[in-house]
Amino acid sequence: MRDLPGIDSLLLKKLKVCCAKEDSVLPRETGLKLMESTPAENSSGVSAKCRDSRVEELWGLTTFFGYSTQTFVQAVNLLDRFLTLMKVQRKHVPCIGVCCLHMAAKMIEEEADVSPTHELIRISQSRFTVSDLSRMEKIISEKLCLDPKAVTALTFLQLYHSAIASQSAGREEIPSIGRLEAQLKACLCRLVFSKAKPSVLALSLVAQEFESFSVMKTVQQFQKHLKISDAELLGWKELVAECMSAYHSSQCSKPDNKKLVWIVSRRTAQGLQSCHFSVPALPTIPERSWNQSQSEDSGEDTSCSEESPCGSLGSDGEGTFFPSSFHHSRD
Amino acid sequence: MMGDRPSPPRAMSSAPTTSPSVDKVDGFSRKSVRKAKQKRSQSSSQFRSQGKPIELTPLPLLKDVPGVEQPELFLKKLQQCCTVFDFMDTLSDLKMKEYKRSTLNELVDYVTVSRGYLTEQAYPEVVKMVSQNIFRTLPPSDSNEFDPEEDEPTLEASWPHLQLVYEFFIRFLESQEFQPSIAKKYIDQKFVLQLLELFDSEDPRERDYLKTVLHRIYGKFLGLRAFIRKQINNIFLRFVYETEHFNGVAELLEILGSIINGFALPLKAEHKQFLVKVLIPLHTVRSLSLFHAQLAYCIVQFLEKDPTLTEPVIRGLLKFWPKTCSQKEVMFLGELEEILDVIEPTQFVKIQEPLFKQISRCVSSPHFQVAERALYYWNNEYIMSLIEENSSVILPIMFSSLYRISKEHWNPAIVALVYNVLKAFMEMNSTLFDELTATYKSDRQREKKKEKEREELWKKLEDLELKRGLRSDGIIPT
Repeated sequence: MRDLPGIDSLLLKKLKVCCAKEDSVLPRETGLKLMESTPAENSSGVSAKCRDSRVEELWGLTTFFGYSTQTFVQAVNLLDRFLTLMKVQRKHVPCIGVCCLHMAAKMIEEEADVSPTHELIRISQSRFTVSDLSRMEKIISEKLCLDPKAVTALTFLQLYHSAIASQSAGREEIPSIGRLEAQLKACLCRLVFSKAKPSVLALSLVAQEFESFSVMKTVQQFQKHLKISDAELLGWKELVAECMSAYHSSQCSKPDNKKLVWIVSRRTAQGLQSCHFSVPALPTIPERSWNQSQSEDSGEDTSCSEESPCGSLGSDGEGTFFPSSFHHSRD
Repeated sequence: MMGDRPSPPRAMSSAPTTSPSVDKVDGFSRKSVRKAKQKRSQSSSQFRSQGKPIELTPLPLLKDVPGVEQPELFLKKLQQCCTVFDFMDTLSDLKMKEYKRSTLNELVDYVTVSRGYLTEQAYPEVVKMVSQNIFRTLPPSDSNEFDPEEDEPTLEASWPHLQLVYEFFIRFLESQEFQPSIAKKYIDQKFVLQLLELFDSEDPRERDYLKTVLHRIYGKFLGLRAFIRKQINNIFLRFVYETEHFNGVAELLEILGSIINGFALPLKAEHKQFLVKVLIPLHTVRSLSLFHAQLAYCIVQFLEKDPTLTEPVIRGLLKFWPKTCSQKEVMFLGELEEILDVIEPTQFVKIQEPLFKQISRCVSSPHFQVAERALYYWNNEYIMSLIEENSSVILPIMFSSLYRISKEHWNPAIVALVYNVLKAFMEMNSTLFDELTATYKSDRQREKKKEKEREELWKKLEDLELKRGLRSDGIIPT
């Protein structure tokens, strides 16, 4: 077997550095456990389901506004860290979610690309105000340390992918980074993955997605380098696989239209109401009348053919049914 | 005894004295000959006698004579009501006009409650009286550009009598004693033809009565049905392809709606032809808004009868999709939604591609009402379920316009609706959505790169040209 070239040592160093930083941005484990154990029906506490649906919202907004994956990942990280740090009431979660997205966007996106807050609120159909949002922003920035260069699962993913790409350059087709990013986003919508260390999550994504033998070797190298146990990697890989099968499944999760508000202009609304001509004023006239006592005619065919050049009625209407002038097409 | 006038006036006679003669082409007036005149809110072209006052001998009331005499008295009253009065002259014959009105009223009641009054002799007299009163040359429209949507209609001046005549005729037709087998001798094709011509009346009250009358006639006279259908065909075809003028389209469509509703299955070829050759082209007319509701109803009824007609119908609508009239586009979108409400999933699959290509264009329309109406489809549960089942086909078609207008549309309400739709798609088929997003982004980047390259190339050419020009003698070569 041919020896695979080793991974670039610079990259390995980078990985080590990032690994050292990642602990500082992990959400508190106790908080995560609390969210998992909170029942969804509980009206005041924040449950895993509540958090997950909030993250899905953010996913939608990210796509809509064209924010980068890094913004989304940072936003989710901020959200998780805040929710696990503070005891938050459920009714505030929407505001916190949008706030985290906005803050992440400000950190990462170009100034021109950051959507203004009022637009963010309008599109997300949120009930809070711009001032609510800025107050929340202050609170969050006080409680959390914000670092635009913070290490996230995406950071690791990019590093892993670039290593693999350079290794297999030209030799084989590897899934694009874009595809991996999409999968990462899908995973982050589930609270369970917030328990994983970013380096491990990213690696298990790579391991789950890539099938070729050479990549597996590289993964093993990463594993050794970052001291990730087999059991840990395998466990997360399984969870990722589960998540991916739901993501890829052709079974559509039916969109919950009820939550969305459809605001239409007055004219369109009027049109929608009056458009439906549902109740005919005239009673239906059945084509074949069984009530022969009303008329001596046994049917339409017999009487009509005597009186007028209707031609054959039951069959082809093309012949004499239409006046001959219309047989020529209009200019 | 009847009045001592020599003979009752004929209804369909020569021109009324104050308006110019009107050319008629198969019953529809040509607009080419018009004299400019003051706008009147009332008009009539009933022929009236030249100045001589009309005298009718008052007859006793029907309820005041014994039962055996009633049928004869009934006939006499009918004959008296053949006399037509001039309502444009508001002062003439007031007493006689009132007499006729009360007589007609009496006849209406009589027909409604009585038994055994309808002898065979009554039929021709009834038809004669009705014909004398209602069949007339319709007054020409006041202006060439009468816009049915905007202008006030010209009402029929003789309505006080006319209404009662219609009322009477309808009750006569609906009477328990009415026998089509006798009546068909008098209510024949000629009668129906004249009736149909009246549908062009500007007076909506008259058209409403005519609608009921024709509906009853169609119901009771099986022998006339094919003829009526054929004539309606002709009217519509002329309307669509020649004149674009006819005031009674909505009423005729209402009648057709009740006929279509009663079609037997399987549908006759004639009916299918009618749908494709007449109803669909009706959508192209400028004044569609006046009868669109009725037309849409007819279309939907057809499709409920025979779902296999869905494909030709939708393709027909797409072919005639309005290109310059946004108001019409909104109507088409409304009708399309009604069709989709009843569509079968197997039929949907056949037309989904061209359909959503058009919807994609509508959604991108700069006219916000069109875009809004199209986006609102996503609020329809049944349509959503169809889209869901076929999201792999539909999403790629819709994607780029949705994405683009989320960034570019001038109207913020539209942008908000687009968010709803995009979100729905994201939840429906995340994988495909992400793929499309990635492709779209890379396409855009590639485009931007190309643009940049192109600009740089032009710049280089400019520089080159300048350099070359300046090299020789400072004169830039042409």
